[in-house]
Amino acid sequence: MPTPKDINDPTLREKVETAFAEMRAGKGTDAVRTLADSFLYLLELKPALLQEKIAMRNREIPRVMRWPALGANIKLDSVIAGKPEIEFIRERFSVSEAMTYYQFVLDEALEKNA
Amino acid sequence: MKFGLFYELQLPKPADKDQWNPDDERRIYHEMLEQVELADSLGFDYVFEVEHHFLEEYSHSSAPELMMAALSQRTKNIRLGHGIVLTPPNYNHPARIAERISALDILSNGRVEFGSGESASEMELGGFGVERGLKKAMWEEATREITNMMTSTPYAGFQGEFFSMPTRNVIPKPLQQPHPPLWVAASRRETTMVAARLGMGSLGFGFETPDELGERALEYYRLVREELMPIGHAINPALAVLNTFMMADSDEEAMRRSANGPAFFSYSLGYYYNPAVGGKHPPGEFNVYRDFLNRSSETAQMQQQRGGFLSPEEIRSEEPADEVQKALYRAARSGNAIGTVETLRKTLLKYEEQHLDTMIFVAQCGDRKHEHIMESIETFGKHLLPEFKERHESEHRKWRAEQLKGVDFPINSSI
Repeated sequence: MPTPKDINDPTLREKVETAFAEMRAGKGTDAVRTLADSFLYLLELKPALLQEKIAMRNREIPRVMRWPALGANIKLDSVIAGKPEIEFIRERFSVSEAMTYYQFVLDEALEKNA
Repeated sequence: MKFGLFYELQLPKPADKDQWNPDDERRIYHEMLEQVELADSLGFDYVFEVEHHFLEEYSHSSAPELMMAALSQRTKNIRLGHGIVLTPPNYNHPARIAERISALDILSNGRVEFGSGESASEMELGGFGVERGLKKAMWEEATREITNMMTSTPYAGFQGEFFSMPTRNVIPKPLQQPHPPLWVAASRRETTMVAARLGMGSLGFGFETPDELGERALEYYRLVREELMPIGHAINPALAVLNTFMMADSDEEAMRRSANGPAFFSYSLGYYYNPAVGGKHPPGEFNVYRDFLNRSSETAQMQQQRGGFLSPEEIRSEEPADEVQKALYRAARSGNAIGTVETLRKTLLKYEEQHLDTMIFVAQCGDRKHEHIMESIETFGKHLLPEFKERHESEHRKWRAEQLKGVDFPINSSI
C-alpha cells in the first residue's frame, strides 16, 4: 500500500507530503507545481530514469514521457538532452489533475526505491 | 459480485455498401430495449450506456438519456447507468445534466447511476470545441457543480473557469438523496485511484485481469478510507470491470457466435481514439467495418484472437505496456467471458475472489446477432446469476463493510 511515508529520501518525501496537503486543501494548482518540482527532484536523485525506455505503439519512448500531459508537460528535447524541464502551458489546475500527477510521482518514487 | 450490461450501440456498416440499411438504427435501439427488458426480468443489476457523438459505427448512442427514459418505463429493478455522461460544458450544460439526471431518477423511482467523463476522441472534442488539454479540468468543475445543483435549494450560482451561471433553483431534485451514485470512466490504474480519492465508483474500461484487480481493489478501498476528498455529497465506493460476453452450449459455438464483435469493438475504438487516424475520419463517407475486414484478412486468425487497431507486428508481440493500448489488446481478445456456463463460472470466480464489486458485460458489439445476445443473457441469468447474487449478499457485502469501516462521509451506493 504505497504512501509518502514509504519514500526514503526525506526531501522528496516532504515535497510529496506537501503536495498531498495542498490537494486536501483544494489547491490543485499549487499541488501540481509541487509535484512537478518533486518529479524533477526525483530525476536528480535517480538520473538513470532518464535513460529508461518503454514500448509505445511499436516504438520506444523515454519512460519519463509517461508523465501525464495535462498542461504541465515534460519537454521531450529536454529529456533527450539530459536536462529535463516541465513546461506549464496553463496556469490553473484542478484537484483531479493534481491527483493524477500525485499518483504518478508516488508510483515512480516507490518503484525506484527513492 | 453484481452484474450488468454495457452498451455502445455499435452499428457496423454492411461491408458491401457505403451506408447502413434504412432500418438499421431503429433495429439496434429496439434490440437493446428487448435485451435490457430480459436482463431485468432475470435479475441483472445494471445497464450502463455510453454517450458518444459522431463516432459512426463505433457508437450510435448520442442521446442515452432518452434510451434510459424508455427503459425506466419498461423495466422494474435494473439500475439505469450513464456510462458515462460527457460533462465538459461544451457537450452539455451542467444545469441540463442535473435536470436530466434528476428527472430520470424520478421516472425510474430512484434507479439512476450517474457516471461522468470527458471522452478523448478528436471527433467529439473537435466537434464540440472542447480543448483536449482542459477536458479533465472541465469535467471536474462541471461534475462538482452538478452535485451542488442537485442538492442546493436554490443553487447559489457559480463563477467558474469553464462555465458560469446566476442563482437559480435547478429542478427537479433527484429521488435518491443526496444524489444518485457517482461513477467515473477509468481506463488507467491512476484514474481508478483518482476515483477512490474523489469518492466515485470506478467504471474500469481497462479490461483488467483478476490479478490486477486484486491489487487495485485493496488499494482503492484503502484510499477511500484514508485519502478521501469527495467531489460530491455522498460517495459511491465501487469497482466495476468490463468484459466481453457471449454464451453457448460449447466454447467453440460461443466463440463462433461472438463473431468478430470484440475485435471490431477494439478496432473501431482504437480507430477513433487515435488522434492521428480518428481525427481525420471523413464524416459520412468512410466504412470502418470494411476497413476492419480488409485489415483483418491480412492477419485473420490473430485478429480474431487479439486484433484491434494494432499493427500486425504489435499483434504478434506480447501484451503492450501502455495501458490504453493494453485495454485495446484485451478488448479484442475473444476469450474473456465467452463460453459455456462452466467456462464463465471459472473465469468469474477469479474476479469474485479478488473482491470485484461489479462485472459489466459487453454483449452488443460488432456484427453479433440479437438472438445470440438474448440467448446468452437468458443462459447467464438462469444458470450463473443466482449463485453469484447469493454470495454477493452473504460474503461480499461483509468484506466491503469491513473495507469501509471508519469512513464517516455519507454513502449512496447500490453495491
